Amino acid sequence: MNQEPMISKEKVIQKGAEATLYYGHWFDREVIFKQRISKKYRIKEIDKRIRAIRTLNEARALIKVKNYGINVPIVYEIDYSNSTIIMSHITGDKLKNLLRILDKSLIVKYMSKIGVFTARLHIKGHIHGDITTSNIIITKNRQLFFIDFGLHEYSDSVEDKSVDLHLFKRVLMSSHGDIYKLCFESFLEGYESEYIQNTQAKKSECQEIFNNFKIIETRGRYVKKEDRQ
Amino acid sequence: MKKNSKYCLGIETTAHTFGVGIVDFEGNVYSRINDIFTPESGGLHPMLVKEQHLANFHKTILKALKEANLSIHNINLVAFSQSPGLGPVLRIGALVSRLLSQKLNIPIVGVNHCIAHIEIGRLKCQIEDPLTLYVSGGNTIVSAFESGRYQIFGETLDLAIGNMIDSFARDVGIAHPGGPKIEKLAKESKHYLSLPYSVKGMDLSFSGLYTAARRLIESKEFNSKYNLSDVAFSLQETAFAMLTEVTERALAHTQKKEVLLTGGVAANERLQEMIEYISMEHDAHFEVVPLRYAGDNGAMIAWTGVLKYLHNGEDEIKHTIIQPKQRMDNIEIPWRE
Repeated sequence: MNQEPMISKEKVIQKGAEATLYYGHWFDREVIFKQRISKKYRIKEIDKRIRAIRTLNEARALIKVKNYGINVPIVYEIDYSNSTIIMSHITGDKLKNLLRILDKSLIVKYMSKIGVFTARLHIKGHIHGDITTSNIIITKNRQLFFIDFGLHEYSDSVEDKSVDLHLFKRVLMSSHGDIYKLCFESFLEGYESEYIQNTQAKKSECQEIFNNFKIIETRGRYVKKEDRQ
Repeated sequence: MKKNSKYCLGIETTAHTFGVGIVDFEGNVYSRINDIFTPESGGLHPMLVKEQHLANFHKTILKALKEANLSIHNINLVAFSQSPGLGPVLRIGALVSRLLSQKLNIPIVGVNHCIAHIEIGRLKCQIEDPLTLYVSGGNTIVSAFESGRYQIFGETLDLAIGNMIDSFARDVGIAHPGGPKIEKLAKESKHYLSLPYSVKGMDLSFSGLYTAARRLIESKEFNSKYNLSDVAFSLQETAFAMLTEVTERALAHTQKKEVLLTGGVAANERLQEMIEYISMEHDAHFEVVPLRYAGDNGAMIAWTGVLKYLHNGEDEIKHTIIQPKQRMDNIEIPWRE
């Protein structure tokens, strides 16, 4: 890492599966260093390829999607050789931890917002790839941030967009089984409303995505015969 | 045979194994007999598998009773694999179990095969609440218990890992089951050939990887620039890195303190090494289900049958219809929490 005192990595705030997040300062700003860690379980050829691709991909995505009215951290610097992104620090709580204690009305509001952000991404041809309640932060003044674009991809296909919805539904079902229906319905409602309002959206696309989403649901390995299409 | 003990006979028939196991209601295993169909060539044809199971089931049951030193009249409960699996094959186990239940006038319960893999793992490894990676010829599932069910955190979107490796082995002329031989070949190489790595969110896709590996074999450069060991090595490394990544992310997400590796592919030492590594990194206790119980077997069905019976009672005969496509996350687990 850079040894200049203006840039300081101060403490580990999270050891994720893929990356370690450090809190620190970049000049006078509070920042997060997201460093993709080398994984000793995989051979170095695979390890190098995956870390390099994902670091660049994520930094580029964060920079781009900010322009579409989606709350994401600001990228200050990309340290490619260390597979590290330096970005603004978002102070708040993970949505995953809040869901248990939030009022119904707030849950609906946040889920709907996630739907709006997801639709904005999709309209512009971005696939998030990993929408989960641990990748979303709520700040003190109730702003919602998408913080992790590690599995982001570019695609304009209905299939990829509906997989995004499917994956989010799966996360809700597995982690928040008791309230998943309310959550997912609010999410879809927000998603659809953005598609209707956004002037750049292809009007028929939302319905195509919803139709394909239903097909994906019936495509899993174990689905009742009568549900297959 | 202990006095006052109650015994459950479990029948496993989801694929090539006709397994019979006998356990008592406390979880002691008295027998575990497998009759395994091995194709002369090609893969598993459901009708041929069915034929063999139909011809051999009574011998396998008698063998299991003999091993447990019990008579069929000592059995108090019969359990069978009701889902998921090959339809014609599942039907044999259901048929035999209904017959035993009616003839001996004992209760019957249907059990989900995937849940049985986890339950026998919890019993045999003496662990409470694991994140499970279940890898076999028919399934590739990352699962953990949450909100009353074994939720699926990641799974394959197309081929099961074992099926993928077996199919590749068959393409290069290795007889079924190819997994162990591919593992041996892979150990002879350190030369990695780039192959597609496909993780979608928490799910996995192996079909592109399979096709790419086949292309390497069909290429003109095969046996000049690289050999079969190199392809086997690259195939394993890529597929297992994918499995390990998804397992690690599920572990970080669920914060479970135990990791269980089970299914036929759990026998692979390289995969064990990788999963053990990430378990250590997350301070989780790692266990591989003893290989005798990691592959398909009747004891796991019997034990899960006991758990289900003690909490839900018996199944009515009309509810013992097989469900070849049932998902494990559709089933409530009343015996936990």
